[in-house]
Amino acid sequence: MSLTDLMTMATPNLESREKILARLCGRDLVNCFQCIKCTSGCTALKLLELRPHEIVKLVNLGFVDELASSDIIWTCATCLKCVQRCPQKASPYHVIVALRNLAVEREAKVPEGYLKAVSQILETGLAEPCRKIVTRKMETVDRECLGLPKVCNPKESFQAVFMKAMEEKP
Amino acid sequence: MTKIGVYVCHCGLNIAGTVDVENVTEYAKGLPDVTVARHYTYMCSEPGQRMIQDDIKSHKLDRIVIATCSPRMHEETFRRAVAETGLNPYLVEIVNLREHVSWAHTHEPEKATEKAKDLVRMGVARARLLEPLEKRKVKVEKSVLVVGGGIAGMQASLDLANAGFKVYLVEKSPSIGGRMAQLDKTFPTLDCSACILTPKMVDVAKHRNITLLTNAEVTDVKGFVGNYEVSILKKPRYVDAKKCVGCELCTKACPVKIPDKFNENLTEKRAIYIYSAHAVPKIAVIDPDGCLRLKTKKGNVCGKCQEVCEAKAIAFEQEPETIRVKVGGVVVAVGSEVFDASRMAELGYGRFKNVISNIEFERISDASGPTGGKIRSLYSGKVPKSIVFVQCVGSRDKRFHAYCCRVGCMVTLKQAILAREKILEDVRIYVCYIDLRAFGKGYDEFYSRARDMDIDFVAGIPSEIHCSPNGSLYFDVYDKGTNKLLEMHADMVVLGTGLVPNADLERISSLFHASRSADGFLLEAHPKLRPLESAVAGIFLAGACQGPKDIPDTVAQASGAAAKAIDLLSSGEIELEPLKAVVDKDLCSGCKICESICPFIAIEMKTEPGKDKEKSRAEVIEAMCQGCGLCSSACPTGAIKIQQFSNPQVLTQVQAALAEAKPKGGK
Repeated sequence: MSLTDLMTMATPNLESREKILARLCGRDLVNCFQCIKCTSGCTALKLLELRPHEIVKLVNLGFVDELASSDIIWTCATCLKCVQRCPQKASPYHVIVALRNLAVEREAKVPEGYLKAVSQILETGLAEPCRKIVTRKMETVDRECLGLPKVCNPKESFQAVFMKAMEEKP
Repeated sequence: MTKIGVYVCHCGLNIAGTVDVENVTEYAKGLPDVTVARHYTYMCSEPGQRMIQDDIKSHKLDRIVIATCSPRMHEETFRRAVAETGLNPYLVEIVNLREHVSWAHTHEPEKATEKAKDLVRMGVARARLLEPLEKRKVKVEKSVLVVGGGIAGMQASLDLANAGFKVYLVEKSPSIGGRMAQLDKTFPTLDCSACILTPKMVDVAKHRNITLLTNAEVTDVKGFVGNYEVSILKKPRYVDAKKCVGCELCTKACPVKIPDKFNENLTEKRAIYIYSAHAVPKIAVIDPDGCLRLKTKKGNVCGKCQEVCEAKAIAFEQEPETIRVKVGGVVVAVGSEVFDASRMAELGYGRFKNVISNIEFERISDASGPTGGKIRSLYSGKVPKSIVFVQCVGSRDKRFHAYCCRVGCMVTLKQAILAREKILEDVRIYVCYIDLRAFGKGYDEFYSRARDMDIDFVAGIPSEIHCSPNGSLYFDVYDKGTNKLLEMHADMVVLGTGLVPNADLERISSLFHASRSADGFLLEAHPKLRPLESAVAGIFLAGACQGPKDIPDTVAQASGAAAKAIDLLSSGEIELEPLKAVVDKDLCSGCKICESICPFIAIEMKTEPGKDKEKSRAEVIEAMCQGCGLCSSACPTGAIKIQQFSNPQVLTQVQAALAEAKPKGGK
C-alpha cells in the first residue's frame, strides 16, 4: 500500500471508498480543496469536535474504515451550512450521511438516540413524539386543548414497508 | 492523368500509438491514381516537408493528401511547403488522423486503423477533384480602433501610434486611466499607481497619431479585416471641450450631489464634475440624470454652473454625435469589473459597514480618496486596531466564478503591507486564505516581505461574519496550521474580491463577433499559440477582457496585440483566403434566401444592366464572405457553391466512404 497512517497503522480501503463515491453519485461531493470554510462554521465543532473538512479529506485518501466505526460521524447536526456555503459545491454533509449508511451496513455501533428515533417512527410514524408544551402564560397544553386532531398510529402495512426499506441494502 | 501522393504522419506516438500507420500507407498505395505513399514520424518537420517536396519534383505529383493532425493546426504549413515547389497550394487535402481517429479511439487500435483507411480513401477521392485557387489581395486601412482607455488600451494605442498608425481610442468614461487610476500602489514594487500612469495618460492625449474619444461608445461595426467601418457614439458632456480649462469653479457651485463612481460610491460628487484628480482630458462633464436643468428640460432652472463659468464653456444644448471612422483592425481592451461581494450573503458585505471590498480599500488608501490616504473606517472615522483580509471572494467558487482571479493574493499582500506601513505598530493584520498564489516575477519575495512585517496568515476561510452592536466584527475560523478553531475580532474586514467579466462584454462580443469562453471573458483564438487575437481576423484582445490579469501581464498583452495589429496592417494590403462562395448567375432565380441567411452580410442582390429590372441576382462580396457554406446549402437551385466544397467534391467523398463499407447486422 502506498499510504500508511503512522498513528494508527491504517491503510486506505479503496473498495469502501468506491462504495461511498457510489452513494454520492460521483466525485462532485468530495471535490474539496480544503478551504476549511465548512469547519469554520460547523455547528457541531465547538462541543462535539466534528471537523467536516477532515472527514472529506480522509474519504478522499481512502481512510474510510476508521471513520465508519467512529462516533464522530454521528455528531453532525445536519444544519447544512457546509452544503450551502462550500465554494466547490462539495458536501461534507452528504459524505457524512454516506458514512453513516456504511456504518449501519457494517453493523457498527449506532448511538442510542438514532435507534430510539427508528423505533419511534416504527411505532408512531413520527420522528418526534407528540408532547405537551408550556406556553408563555405558563399553561401546559396538549393537542387536545388546542383543538387539534388526534395523531393516529400508522397502519400495519406502513411498518412492513418501513422494515423492508430498512433491510434493503443499496 | 492525376498523380496523387499520400503522406501518413505518426505525430510521434500521437497517431502511431493507436493507428497502424504502415498498414494505412500500404493500403493507400493500392488506391487509384496514388503514385507514392509514405509515412514519417513528424510530417510537419523540415525533413517531412522536404520529403513531400522531393516527391512532387521527382514523381511530378499534382495532388497531395496528408493524413495528419487537424487542418486548423498545420494546413497552412503544408500549403506553404507545396507552394514552394510551384504546385498550387490548394491542391493539398488534409485527412485528420489525430483529433478524428487516434485521440478519439485510443482504446480500439484495430477499429481506429480501419477508420483511418476509410478517411484516407475519402481524402484521395476528394483530392482528385480539387481545383487550383488563387489568393486575392485587398488594400487595408492603416488605422486602428482601440476600445477601452485603461492601461491596456493606452499601451496598445501608444505602441500603434509610435509605429505610425492612426489610432482612435474610444473610452466609455469621461477620462482615460481605467482601473489602474483607482489604485494606490502597485505590487510587487509598491510604486505609486498614479505616478506611473498619469504621464502615460498625458502622452496618449498629446500624441498626434491618437484621436482620443472619451465619454463615447462603439455602436456599430461593419466590414471585414483591413476595412472595418465603425460608428462611435459620442455622448454629450454639456461642456465645450475647447473652452473648459478644468478650473473646477462649476463643481463648487453645483447644488446637486451624486455618488462618485471613481471613489467606488464611497463619497459624493456634484452633478457637474471632473472625473478624478488626474483626469485626462481634464474637462468637466455634466451627469444628465443629476443636473436639475437637464432633468427638468427647462431653460430657466438652476444654471449655477453657467453663472460661475468664466470661460463660458457650459453647453446645455449639446446633442449626442455619431462619428464614423474606417479602420484596418481593432484592439478590444474593455477590461473587467470587480466582483459584487453582496452576492455572497454570509460575509455580510453591504449589511455591515466595516466589511469592505479590496477596491474600496484601495480608494481609502489612495491620497486622492475619501480619507486622503489615511486608513480608517469611513463610518466611525476611527483607525482600525485589527484588519482581517478574507481571500477568494467570488472566485474559485463554483457558485459564482470557478476561476482563480489571479490578482487577489497579491492585492491583499500589497494592501496588508500598506496598512502596516500607514498605521505602524498599532494594528493587528491577519490574512485568511486557502492557497497563497505568488507566482510572478518578484511576487514570492513580496510575500516574504509581508511575513517579515508581522502580518499573520491563517490557513482557513470563515464561514460567516457577524457584527456586534458597536460595529466591530467577529467570526470563527478554523486554522489548518494549528488545528484550532479561532475567534477573530476585527474593526475592518477587507474582502479579496476577484475580477469578473465586464457587464458590457456581451454587447462588445456581439458587436465584434468575438466569442466568449465559459468563464464569460472574451475567447482568444488559441489558448497557447494565439493568445492576442480573437477568432475573427483583425480583432485583437488586450488586458483583462480576455481573462483576469495584473498590470505587468496586461501591459505585455497590450503591446503584443499592438504588434499583431502592426504585423497585419503594415504592408498596406492583406491576402484573402479563396475559399469563398461563388454564384452561377444563370442558375440564380433571385429568391433572396441566401441574402437573408448570410451571417456576414456578404451577399448583395443586384440587377444587371440591360436586363429585366424586376429580376435581381445574388452577388458575393468576396472580402466579407467567410466561406461558411450556409448560402450554398440553402440555395434551392444550386446556384451558389463554396470553392473547394462544391457538390461533386463533397459527394465523391460520400461515395468513397460508402464504397467499401460492409453492411452491419440485419439482412
